Amino acid sequence: MTGGRRRVLLAPITVTPSKPLTPSHLKGLLWTDVMFRATAHLADVTYRYSHTTYHPTEQTLGFWEFLDRSHGDVDYDALSEEEVGELYVRFRAERRPLTAADVRPYAEAVERTGYVHPASARVLRLWSRHYERLGLHDPGLLARQPPGFGLEEMIRHLVAAGLGLDQRYVGGPVYLDATRHGLPLRQIVTADGRPNYLACALRELLPLAPCYDETVLLYDRELDPDYQLVERALTGTGTTVHRVPIGRVPIDGKITSARHGGWHSHTTDVLLRTLGDEYDPAALRLGMRLYFIATLGPGQRESFRYDLLRKSLARAEQLLSRARETPRVPGALPALLARHRRAHTHVDPYRLTSSLLGRSRRPPANDLLTTVFI
Amino acid sequence: MTLSPEMLLTVAADRLRTARPEMAARLDVSTPDALRDAKAAIASREVDGPADGAVVAVIGSFSLPRWVHETCRFALSVPADRAVPWRRSFTRTLFLAGRPDNLRERFAFDHIADDASSAWVGPAADRTTTALRRLLKTFSGARELSAWAPVAIAVSGPAASGAPSPPSRPHVHRDLYIATSGLTVSDMLVQVNHLLVEAVLDGLIRPADRLTLRAVPHLSGLAVPFAALRVDTDVHRPHELQAYAALTEET
Repeated sequence: MTGGRRRVLLAPITVTPSKPLTPSHLKGLLWTDVMFRATAHLADVTYRYSHTTYHPTEQTLGFWEFLDRSHGDVDYDALSEEEVGELYVRFRAERRPLTAADVRPYAEAVERTGYVHPASARVLRLWSRHYERLGLHDPGLLARQPPGFGLEEMIRHLVAAGLGLDQRYVGGPVYLDATRHGLPLRQIVTADGRPNYLACALRELLPLAPCYDETVLLYDRELDPDYQLVERALTGTGTTVHRVPIGRVPIDGKITSARHGGWHSHTTDVLLRTLGDEYDPAALRLGMRLYFIATLGPGQRESFRYDLLRKSLARAEQLLSRARETPRVPGALPALLARHRRAHTHVDPYRLTSSLLGRSRRPPANDLLTTVFI
Repeated sequence: MTLSPEMLLTVAADRLRTARPEMAARLDVSTPDALRDAKAAIASREVDGPADGAVVAVIGSFSLPRWVHETCRFALSVPADRAVPWRRSFTRTLFLAGRPDNLRERFAFDHIADDASSAWVGPAADRTTTALRRLLKTFSGARELSAWAPVAIAVSGPAASGAPSPPSRPHVHRDLYIATSGLTVSDMLVQVNHLLVEAVLDGLIRPADRLTLRAVPHLSGLAVPFAALRVDTDVHRPHELQAYAALTEET
């Protein structure tokens, strides 16, 4: 600990840079951003979001191999994220079984040189612009941030801790094994050595999480069984683990994966282009957070609605206007934020953001809005 | 004793008749295809019925000599009343990947290897192993077998057993030949497991007997007397039979 402040690691799952950001992605990003910026007033907080860590997954390497095999030399800088996303949908529709040999050049390039395929590099640069527009802290979208453990080192640690089962020597896979805790065996590396996203996450988190008093895992609600396993793998390494599942945002009542496409009128790019000119930047940032955090909440029952988003943006304008007139009370912000922590160090974004929409006649503190929400 | 298609068919048919003596007269086992159909017919008749004779074997880390040794120890521990339904289900055994040291507090195994590399439950009704099977995955050993230098093991008795002690006889030594060509580790587990446990149940392998494990690409051409032979559908020729493993007479 530094000066008595607790150390907190925020570790959300990353969005694969192969498609446009959808409302579900945006919700997770805004949720994490508010948690990060609010918690930073109370603790030493690290927001770990490394695309380098997750590039070795099959869905990313396979996509890159598909692009080069079937499209050759393309000027990806001329493509929009939607157009890259269309290529990704075609890749997933191909359903071609991949082998380690197919993706080996890409896997090696990621590990040894920090390689990023130009299609994904293009998407990440476009996302950086969205981040800027939305006032999202950039945790290093374009940076090379390799995980602390190599694949073999991670597997050795898991096996030694009684949490891994490595049967590659007989042509079997590697499993994450928390059966001691009643959780089912989960494959994390194929027999020919291809890691899934859990293996990638563990390469990063097993060495990193013990450096923090508290580790917060943020992820799609559908991944809850996997993250229960991650929690088990990290428990006992010296950190306290909190799981924060975030519900996705249905479109017209349906929760679909971005791999199937169908995102056209709802991408972050479209949202920003549609609303960006109507609202000033601060209202846009606050209104997006009000809608995606407080209005939609942690669940996933409510479908995306433009009318409610606009209502949140209008509410944001009112809140900002009222907040500007309130006098600043030095030192009050940490105490205000601490009320939304519950039994942990990190601030709960839902509770904090919802508090702005309460019936209280007191306007929100301007420094709360400027340092956490806009 | 020389292997021939007729001999393989005889061995396979005898096994079917031994497991299901009441059906022996009705079964057509005149060709490999007829034999396979007869087995399939028996299996299909039991799809909806209670399967009460299956073993679940959990494999953590695998080495052939250790696994052969522990498989014999497990089979030696099976009480006679539980061996009967197991024989009737053709010593059905399900291999799962798992770490016995992680499971022993939640599940009562009937046998655990001394080094906890593997563990066994059963023979028991499928429903008694549902929770274990849901937690684990089918063992996957897709690597093809490679040959090994002959290795000898001494079979020790089970740690604790409800099985009656067999009548004493002098300890014997046998060779266990295993065909390696085209066989994966998973294939070998299935074939050698049947041979070993049935040899134990038949009294061919007893505590303190010694086995020498020998790899051969194929069993054809072996001119040694066999006490037991494991015969199943040929991996390359689905209408023919192949010998996968053999236990010799005393050597």
